[in-house]
Amino acid sequence: MRSRKLLAASAALALVVGACGSDDDSSDDASDADTAESVAPDDAESEDTEASDDAEETEDTEPATEDTEASDDDADDSDDDGDAAASGDFEPMSVSAPDCDYGGLFDTIAAVDELTVEFTLCQPDVAFESKVAFSAFGIWPDEVLEETGGGGPELFENPVGTGPYMLEQWDRGNQLVMSANPDYWGDAAGSDTLVFRWSEEAAQRLVELQSGSVDGIDNPGRDDFEVISSDDTLQLLEREGTNVFYLGLNRDIPPFDDERVRQAIAMALDRQRIVDAFYPPGSSVADQFLPSSIFGYTEEPTWYDVDLDMARELMAEAGYADGFDVTLNYRDVVRSYLPSPGTVGVDIQDQLSAIGINVTVEVMESGAFLDASAAGELPMYMLGWGADYPDATNFLDFHFGVGASDQFGEGFEDIQALLTEGGQVNDPDERLDIYMQATELIKEHVPMVPVAHGGSGTAYRADVTNAQASPLGNERFSVMEPGDRDTFVWMQNAEPIGLYCADETDGESLRACEQINESLLSYEVGGTAVEAALAESWESNEDGTVWTFTLRDGVTFHNGNPLDANDVVATYVAQWDAASPLHVGREGTFYYFSADFLGFLNAPEEEEG
Amino acid sequence: MPDEHASEPSTFATAAPVPKPDFAGDATEVERELRAARSGAGRWRRKVPDPLEVQPARGLWGNAFRQLLRKKSAVVGMVMLGILVLVAVFAPLIAPYDPNEVLLGQGVTPRDAPCIHLFGCAEDTPQHILGTDGNGRDEFSRILFGARVSLAAGVGAVLFAVVIGTAIGLVAGYYGRWADSVLMRLMDVLLAFPSLLLAIFIVTVFGPGLVNAIFAISIVSIPIYARVVRSTVVSLRESDFVKADIALGVSTPRIIWHRILPNSLTPLIVQATLGVATAVLEIAALSFLGLGVQPPTAEWGSMLAAERNQVFTAPHLVFFPGIAIMWNVLAFNLLGDGLRDALDPRLNL
Repeated sequence: MRSRKLLAASAALALVVGACGSDDDSSDDASDADTAESVAPDDAESEDTEASDDAEETEDTEPATEDTEASDDDADDSDDDGDAAASGDFEPMSVSAPDCDYGGLFDTIAAVDELTVEFTLCQPDVAFESKVAFSAFGIWPDEVLEETGGGGPELFENPVGTGPYMLEQWDRGNQLVMSANPDYWGDAAGSDTLVFRWSEEAAQRLVELQSGSVDGIDNPGRDDFEVISSDDTLQLLEREGTNVFYLGLNRDIPPFDDERVRQAIAMALDRQRIVDAFYPPGSSVADQFLPSSIFGYTEEPTWYDVDLDMARELMAEAGYADGFDVTLNYRDVVRSYLPSPGTVGVDIQDQLSAIGINVTVEVMESGAFLDASAAGELPMYMLGWGADYPDATNFLDFHFGVGASDQFGEGFEDIQALLTEGGQVNDPDERLDIYMQATELIKEHVPMVPVAHGGSGTAYRADVTNAQASPLGNERFSVMEPGDRDTFVWMQNAEPIGLYCADETDGESLRACEQINESLLSYEVGGTAVEAALAESWESNEDGTVWTFTLRDGVTFHNGNPLDANDVVATYVAQWDAASPLHVGREGTFYYFSADFLGFLNAPEEEEG
Repeated sequence: MPDEHASEPSTFATAAPVPKPDFAGDATEVERELRAARSGAGRWRRKVPDPLEVQPARGLWGNAFRQLLRKKSAVVGMVMLGILVLVAVFAPLIAPYDPNEVLLGQGVTPRDAPCIHLFGCAEDTPQHILGTDGNGRDEFSRILFGARVSLAAGVGAVLFAVVIGTAIGLVAGYYGRWADSVLMRLMDVLLAFPSLLLAIFIVTVFGPGLVNAIFAISIVSIPIYARVVRSTVVSLRESDFVKADIALGVSTPRIIWHRILPNSLTPLIVQATLGVATAVLEIAALSFLGLGVQPPTAEWGSMLAAERNQVFTAPHLVFFPGIAIMWNVLAFNLLGDGLRDALDPRLNL
């Protein structure tokens, strides 16, 4: 199949470009990989030529450290594309960075044998297990990635995974229907059919639940908590606030270029009032960016106390004694960290008027808002963050680390240095100390004002067993049984955007992906602890730089292909290697990969630089 | 009976403003007769044997007003509108609170139910006749102040549209030919779009805000007025008194200003009154979508939008702004209907 060759060629491309002035051997070896298929070698050749051309433009650094080790096999195992676990003709894939100077975390991703994958890291990463368990890194069959070219609707509307459910039909704008996977390796799903529906309106979600047309809903409205808990036919599960809602301030845009102005805003905001008035039970005032249940949280330092006099003084010192006009942007999208965006915006407007800041509240379309904030175009905005995995790196590095976006303007170097250090230290006490210092610096610089850790919840019909409210927002429906019904209907806030979650950041998409695709590891049901999933067992070397995962035997994808180590390598490399032809996705940002694993191989900027 | 009124000198007729063109100076007898016949809008006028003996000043407006008073629905509309105007003008005096003041921390939580001491609400809780909204602001005060925005926006939008629409209609109707074709096809294009959709488009381009919303709604309703004016102008242009003027060499601007315009006012006024109701509704719709009035300004549409999710837990916050919008629209619709019956016999079928 042509597609099989494409990936191999891409691996070669990655290799060659990464090697910067590659020697001929690597090209040859890559071509060897192609010969495992009955392919015309000249196609691969042309790829290689291109790659070599690219390579010549940049200075020579080091040759590639590892190559695609292709064993020359006979070409007639076309039935299963060389994936068959038992046939013994497995040729393990491997991709390496030429060196660790590219800034990313991975050095090598290699299939050792059919069921063993080895990740070699450039530096230790204490949160590696948690990251690997995240649903953006769900494993896809390499064939599907190649056939679809690693992107486009064909890929993100037709997910193929190993999960308890498989996609039956995605009726865009209406509903998402999944059916139980009969060949699932674990316990069979509790319902034959799983339907995802969505509505932005909390009132509608509640009415649907009350009328029995859905079995579970996400994020009941703040005022509906009481209604649900007093209703015998429903059950309410509160979700701990593993998130943060913050008021972002962009230091590239005056007057927020003055630290005193940012500090004044931090002192002027009465966050207690916001939480008391607009958040459901289970929420708490944010004293720092990290929620208390996330590793890295320390009791000290706490945030500024409300002090309007001091705030006015700081404003005057900064030359804004009479205040200034500013626009506060937000998106009218309900998330657990921000259950009622409009009212909170108006309250912030009201509070800031006390120190003379004249705020215009402006709502934006969700996508445009996220893009504009990430591009650093918004002076002041309301946004939040929910935990993907329970570690400080997920919160702090994503926002303030080296790989963070421009959402707060130019990064703060002192914070960045600390966070880089914190990700590499193994000793928990030492890490805590580093994160405490980072939190202290965030308090001093005020790139944002942390306001609340929003409690939220899920509600189900009373006869649903094993109902959960996951702190990470990844409810697992396969373990729930909806009474005596065959179909479980779930209603969430919004429609998934795409189901290739490597290139999604939206929680509504991720939750749907999690039912279909599985990662090497997973989080326990309703919790944050990491447990085995596609990998049966895993271990790391002493300094935490080499991680070896042993895959579960006999797992098949929804399309019938058996899972092997090459699928894992292909899944990761498609995201990791920016020069790979499969590095496409829906938008091609692969936000989680760059934030979690620090950067892409062959990232365009670095080639130019 | 109408006939009884005919002989009575009407106080209304003399007191009412008389926007009649001042052409007594050059009026011929024929023209006076014509004019009297034309302006005899009421049914009773036709039964007067000699129209020349009736003072023209008592004609249109006085009669219209009397007609209006005779229609119960129109009176109801006028009373409702009167109340609305009074509320809008005296809102700062009536309202117990500043509409934008957040009262959190003063014994108030968001979305408190209405509390009226008179009806047994505990004396130690602050009185909020219509409860408080999602931000802990007094709902009653906000409804009152919302009347200002709603009235001003509705009337403002229509005024602007009427001025532009009339100008276009006059030019198109009077000059005809290519001016007519170009202008009216342009109006047709505007009419081809659903009005609210076009308004949303315009606001999106110019950015959300009250002024832009008024502007958008004006533009959208211009074609209605242009067409109304044009149709009357076309028929007036062919009427004898205009032809007589032309024959006498009266200048074109004078003909338009003194003959055509005053005589095409009646359908315009009816249309404009009804148009205010539509404009009020569209302003509320735009604000509901977040494109009109921006927070924290109190406006009924945006108040509805902010609380739409609480329709079951705090129905009063959706109910009262809804009632207010309905009140406003109904007032203008009733009045408009009454005016149409009174002013425009041609529509009075």
